[in-house]
Amino acid sequence: MNSIIIGQYIPGKGFFYKLDPRTKIVAVLFLMIAVFMLENIAQLFMALGIALFILLLGRISIIKVIKGLKAIFVLLIFTFVFQVALNTEGKILSQANMHFNLYSVIGVVLAFIIWRLLVRVGKFKILMFIAFILGVYIILRYVNFGTDFYSFSLTIYEKGIEMSVFVVVRILIIITFTTVLTLTTKPTDLTHGIESLLRPLKKIGFNSEDFALIISLSLRYIPTIFDEAQKIMAAQASRGADFSEGKLKDKLKQIISLLVPMFIIAFMRSEELADAMESRNFVPGQPRTRINVLKFSMIDVYSGIFTLLCLAGAIVNKVI
Amino acid sequence: MGIRFNQVTHEYASYSKVTYKAIHNISLSILEHDEFIALVGHTGSGKSTLAKHMNALIFPTSGTVEIFNNIITKKRDKKIKYNSIRKSVGLVFQFPEYQLFEDTVEKDIMFGPLNFKVSIEEAKKVALESLELVGLDESYLNRNPFNLSGGEKKRVSIAGILALDPEILVLDEPTSGLDPEGKNILMRLFKDIHKKTNKTIIIITHDMDLVYQYFNRVLVLKDGELSFDGSPERLFKSDILDKNHLDFPNTIKTLKHIKETMNLDINIYQKTVEDVIKELNRVTKNE
Repeated sequence: MNSIIIGQYIPGKGFFYKLDPRTKIVAVLFLMIAVFMLENIAQLFMALGIALFILLLGRISIIKVIKGLKAIFVLLIFTFVFQVALNTEGKILSQANMHFNLYSVIGVVLAFIIWRLLVRVGKFKILMFIAFILGVYIILRYVNFGTDFYSFSLTIYEKGIEMSVFVVVRILIIITFTTVLTLTTKPTDLTHGIESLLRPLKKIGFNSEDFALIISLSLRYIPTIFDEAQKIMAAQASRGADFSEGKLKDKLKQIISLLVPMFIIAFMRSEELADAMESRNFVPGQPRTRINVLKFSMIDVYSGIFTLLCLAGAIVNKVI
Repeated sequence: MGIRFNQVTHEYASYSKVTYKAIHNISLSILEHDEFIALVGHTGSGKSTLAKHMNALIFPTSGTVEIFNNIITKKRDKKIKYNSIRKSVGLVFQFPEYQLFEDTVEKDIMFGPLNFKVSIEEAKKVALESLELVGLDESYLNRNPFNLSGGEKKRVSIAGILALDPEILVLDEPTSGLDPEGKNILMRLFKDIHKKTNKTIIIITHDMDLVYQYFNRVLVLKDGELSFDGSPERLFKSDILDKNHLDFPNTIKTLKHIKETMNLDINIYQKTVEDVIKELNRVTKNE
């Protein structure tokens, strides 16, 4: 769980910590729009360069970001595989019959078992997953002896490869941007920023303060609830319900033994919180002042100009 | 041998590479029966961390814990059945809310035994037995655990662990949040269970009155290190308590005060209120 860094603030000093959260939110939004406007791979790799430059500027270690990507790596691989398999534009790169026969199915099952065994002992899980998918491809393609009970032709097009790289790199860039945002901005500052940005919506009846309060409360309680979940798991493990041992059928029952106390504790907590807020004179909807008032500084101006330049570049590129 | 700690250290990792040593270099051994041990220490001294090592809920960062001949190290060992360790060492947590989840008390107590493949009839029998062991009667079996009082919830959660029939029972602050009367009732209950079954019982507590009155061995933790291991009598005669920000039992405090202000020849080491009264009567008669 600690390896997921998307949405986790890590205290530190540096360029991005000094930026106003509003600047950061708007910049991430604009840069994301700019990335979606790019049309070919060369431009996209330029954008990747900018993303790396941003990491460098903020002195954020790339390893940290890569570790954070672990959680969505499966998604990336699936995107890649589907793009390769389903896109039918451009020149044909390779055409191959995929065979499903007794031997190839046994081979796939063996590959699967070997992969699961290796994952248990080894470290490079993601590399093994890629190797597994490649292995399945090779087995299905070349094990062509015996009678096929099913076969289909897998054609890989040039455009398919290009698009899959395109999509994956685009996701990588966007995640890098958002990770920089959440790594360097305290959740409270983030909601602060969102609230301040949404304030004009009050005219159409949307109260951004309430919205910000809801978000900041839920963010505040994620670690608490996570803590509670671990305590409940420990308590249930003491009664023989260890989540890392046992069969699937037992696990279902164990999940209930986790969920029920979770709900009860969450309700208890929220009631206590409501009481605590009211006893400190919190009245919903009343105007409130802040301890830390957000202020723009010169670096916000520079970052804003940089962002606008990137966006303008992307728009000009799209139009021309 | 029940549980043996061998130079156990446990560190909690945090983001910024700063690790926090919850317990440090602890060596001790606990017999598998006949012991009645209190684990004391101020808040944050590592009591709960130590307790969680006793049934392998967490693993030491260095050193080894030997629990009924299973050697627990830093890494999870495929050969060890951690679930069965939890059957031999039962750990009751401080807050019953973390444990209770079924809609009747009976089902909740049965959850543990059923996890260990006991038949339903057997589990029902065990549920009733352990409920009686914690001093609640049959009528509780079909009640909803969430509608019980704090003390009753605590008892039900203890019954849930007792139903596993563990060799060693570890309780994390079972008396917290109870009134003095409730505390004493619960302590007598544990003493009773201890006498009836000969099980080793380890109790984490802050209450020095209880420690002096009921226990025959005390472990004192200070900043994650074991600073005392011995009888309460020896503990309260030494100066370790002052160093550990811990309090003396009320009986000793009161008698000490009387002795100093009135300059009487009193034996201040009395365990119960009755003993104190007896001692005071003895002294005043002599005067």
